[in-house]
Amino acid sequence: MKKKIALLLTTMLTMSLMAGCGSTSKGAENGEVNIFVWTEYVSDTAISDFEKKFGIKVNVSTYSSNEDLLAKLKSESEGTYDVILPSDYTVEYLIAQNKLEPLNKEALTNLSNIDPAYLDEPFDPGNVYSVPYEGGVACIAVNTKKVEKEITSYADLFDPSLKGQIVVLDDYRAVIGITERAMGLSMNETDPDKLKEVEEKLLTLKDNVKLYDSDSPKSALISGDCSVGMVWSAEIALAMDENPDIEIVYPTEGSYVFLDNWCVPTGAKNYDNAMKFIDYMLSAEAAKTNIEDFPYLCPNTAALEMMGDEYVLNKAKNVPAEVIEKGEFLTYLGTDTLAIYDEMWTKLKQ
Amino acid sequence: MAGKSKHEFRANTLPAIITVGPVALIMLLLVAAPLMYVGVMSFCSIDEYYNVTHDLTLGNYVRLANTDYLKIYVQSLLIAFITTILCILIGYPFSYIIARSKSRFKRIFYMLVIIPFWTNSLIRIYGWRSFLGTNGWLNSSLVSLGIVSEPIDFLYKNGTTILGMVYCLIPFMILPLYTAIEKLDGTLLEASADLGAKPVSTFFTVILPLTSSGIFSGSLMVFIPCLGYFFVADILGGGNSDVIGNLIERQFQSGNNWPLGAALSIILIIVTLVLVKAYQKLGGDMDALGV
Repeated sequence: MKKKIALLLTTMLTMSLMAGCGSTSKGAENGEVNIFVWTEYVSDTAISDFEKKFGIKVNVSTYSSNEDLLAKLKSESEGTYDVILPSDYTVEYLIAQNKLEPLNKEALTNLSNIDPAYLDEPFDPGNVYSVPYEGGVACIAVNTKKVEKEITSYADLFDPSLKGQIVVLDDYRAVIGITERAMGLSMNETDPDKLKEVEEKLLTLKDNVKLYDSDSPKSALISGDCSVGMVWSAEIALAMDENPDIEIVYPTEGSYVFLDNWCVPTGAKNYDNAMKFIDYMLSAEAAKTNIEDFPYLCPNTAALEMMGDEYVLNKAKNVPAEVIEKGEFLTYLGTDTLAIYDEMWTKLKQ
Repeated sequence: MAGKSKHEFRANTLPAIITVGPVALIMLLLVAAPLMYVGVMSFCSIDEYYNVTHDLTLGNYVRLANTDYLKIYVQSLLIAFITTILCILIGYPFSYIIARSKSRFKRIFYMLVIIPFWTNSLIRIYGWRSFLGTNGWLNSSLVSLGIVSEPIDFLYKNGTTILGMVYCLIPFMILPLYTAIEKLDGTLLEASADLGAKPVSTFFTVILPLTSSGIFSGSLMVFIPCLGYFFVADILGGGNSDVIGNLIERQFQSGNNWPLGAALSIILIIVTLVLVKAYQKLGGDMDALGV
């Protein structure tokens, strides 16, 4: 009996080893591409479809904030990553530092799928270094069963009745930014006197925040640990799928808007494969797979046409155009201003 | 003469270089050099794009004197202190029972303390989060047993941070205590009883002083990591109560200000050294720390 079990175990082990070999060798005949992208943002299915179609092996690493991306780009040797996915203000920062390769537009045949409203943005005029992937807004989720107060704006989040109920992004630009919007200021305020007022206001949010979480804030909303959230729109969309009591609110002040973009860092070792990968991600089929898994704002009109009403009419998934228009992008701020932001954040976290 | 010194070199110095050399080299490369690097970096400044530049400055330390950072230091020391006290209160009786037990399960109890070590602490901390959540196992059991009507709000408080710290670090308290208590000579306890001491006074006048080395080294080994376990504060504390580790992590990641992060690390190293020195002054045994 023991022998039989041993034999069975050995067979299983061998088979799993062989299965392992199979998956690593598959798709490597045309080299590889190293991508460094946000967590919970690019569909594994879309990536493996690309591997099958082009015979290029994709190595995926992930980060959970733009600053993590910058820190990693700084500490890893040049050429570690071929494709990155920074947000608007980080693209601006990387361009200013000559850290991006211009994209080969001739290779990007699917760029025509992108809605021109999302091209030629101020952070990269003419899309020399970046093309849009997905975007969204940081808006408000409310569990209507648990919260009686009607919430319509960022300013409402500061209401004392919401004590200990809110999950916010663990991201200082986001939390300070919405405080500034609630006060009628820009999210990119630099005036030190005004920032003093912002700090006072920010500290009144402290008691209301129960959890700071950027990786998966939807979990706390779905489980009911938090009944209000200031999180990414797609996290709310996914939470709404799981828990019908949750509703999405686009704040009346205009939302914090972001757009994430495909870029190639300087010194990339597999530039041509990177272009193939980016072009595939711009294709209608890949964009559709991506928004099915991660329903963020999709600038890909060809993919939207394929999605059907369930998606297009869902205002959490397909963020309305006027919300984007009313919203504001972050911009890159100088070190002195960010030092003030950092101090405010430290005070909030005591 | 030359021949003799060559011989001496072969006889004395060469074996020393061969045996100690590799270790010394590894220590230099992997411990001393990075520490120097952190030390130098803490005096560097940053340019407008947050790149580290080599203009030396004291600015980072000046920024740390800011009361907000100090408050987080105090908060972190407080969390570490409470954690240490709780670890002693829980760990001492536990270690005493297994160390003095004659049971054949003694080894098994001992192993039960060590086995959780084999699983990554991050995973175990996430386990606590799902265990304690509003819809977690604990709350759903309490509600379905009718003990409470509404789920209890356990998560994301200072108390949960401390719970996580105690859970992660208690083996570091139990193991040195176990060693100290096991070494305790049973005949001394008999002598104490024969001389008329009650169990309570035996404990305070005989057992406690003889096992204090275990308490000291256990406390040090709990207190110091507790200042740096930022993931416990993040996952169970919900980011509401930062420890020193969070401050450092933030400057190297989202804050993107490495010199400031380096300065914070240097301060943490100094706090650690002061504690170790105090331990030594109190008569602590450096070998018991396993260093």
